[in-house]
Amino acid sequence: MIACVAVIGHQNNPLYIQSFTEADDALKLHHIVHCSLDVVEERVNNPKKSGPTLNETFLGLLYPTENYKVYGYLTNTKVKFILVTTDLDVRDADVRNFFRRFHAAYVDAVSNPFHVPGKKITSKTFAERVSNIVKSFGLSSAG
Amino acid sequence: MVLVSLSAFAFLFSELVQYNQTQVDNISELERRLEDAGYAVGARVLELLCHREKGNRKETRLLGILSFVHSTVWKVLFGKLTLEKGTEHEDEYMSSEKELLVNRFISIPKDMGTFNCGAFVAGIVRGVLDGAGFPAVVTAHFVPMDGQQRPRTTILIKFAEEVLRREARLGCDYFTDLVKAIIATAVDVKYKFLL
Repeated sequence: MIACVAVIGHQNNPLYIQSFTEADDALKLHHIVHCSLDVVEERVNNPKKSGPTLNETFLGLLYPTENYKVYGYLTNTKVKFILVTTDLDVRDADVRNFFRRFHAAYVDAVSNPFHVPGKKITSKTFAERVSNIVKSFGLSSAG
Repeated sequence: MVLVSLSAFAFLFSELVQYNQTQVDNISELERRLEDAGYAVGARVLELLCHREKGNRKETRLLGILSFVHSTVWKVLFGKLTLEKGTEHEDEYMSSEKELLVNRFISIPKDMGTFNCGAFVAGIVRGVLDGAGFPAVVTAHFVPMDGQQRPRTTILIKFAEEVLRREARLGCDYFTDLVKAIIATAVDVKYKFLL
């Protein structure tokens, strides 16, 4: 079950935050996303091994908290995607697939000439596509 | 791959130039507006291309991003590779093209001086570089060539200070090894001489 997804701009400003569970406190999810930004910064600035890691977009599991797992993805323009999920066993391939489709939806939203880069994403189409991707993520990992 | 007709684009571009011409008073303002229009295109092109063509990789080196602009961006935008690279200074990179696609149906009146509608393309390049984290000043110039009727267009890319510093830091691993090797051989030679 995905708890929330977030798109953070290159100055660490939130561009899109959407939570998908009614039970949990939205503020707590915001806080988790905010804390994960520190981990992203650390990964970007201190690569463990040089070469391939410098160029990877998918950052993997950032850190596990009490009952959440947080995954990160960094695009070429320093825009970060954060995924918070409550699943206990999530396959790496599923998360990569999710981020790939999420990146496609993001690129389409940004290509909108009426979208101002740096401002929040207000497109309804983007919100619909994201919720579709989230729904199919749950199904594919359960099946 | 979706193809757009050249004439349709030429119409659109000429309208863009004419619209901006009615809004400004002087040439440099017009150039700046065209560049800003290109900047918006460049930022979006970068996002799109990184997702579609580049897979899961980012560019962190200067030569990497330059070759990305030269090959991938040019191929997607203009359909062919006619760009040639040239280097002059430490922080300046030039690439020249026989004739920019956007300038194909444009002739500049004499009283406009050195104005070049290639400012739009310069804006695109600046948008791509800026989005990828390499702030630069990009301009387009006409360079008259002997023996050819129309001058070539040159795109001049001048990177900001911080980019050069970062590049020096990233590239210095190889460089320090090289320097150490040179010093080692020099010391060796000196000892042999003394003995």
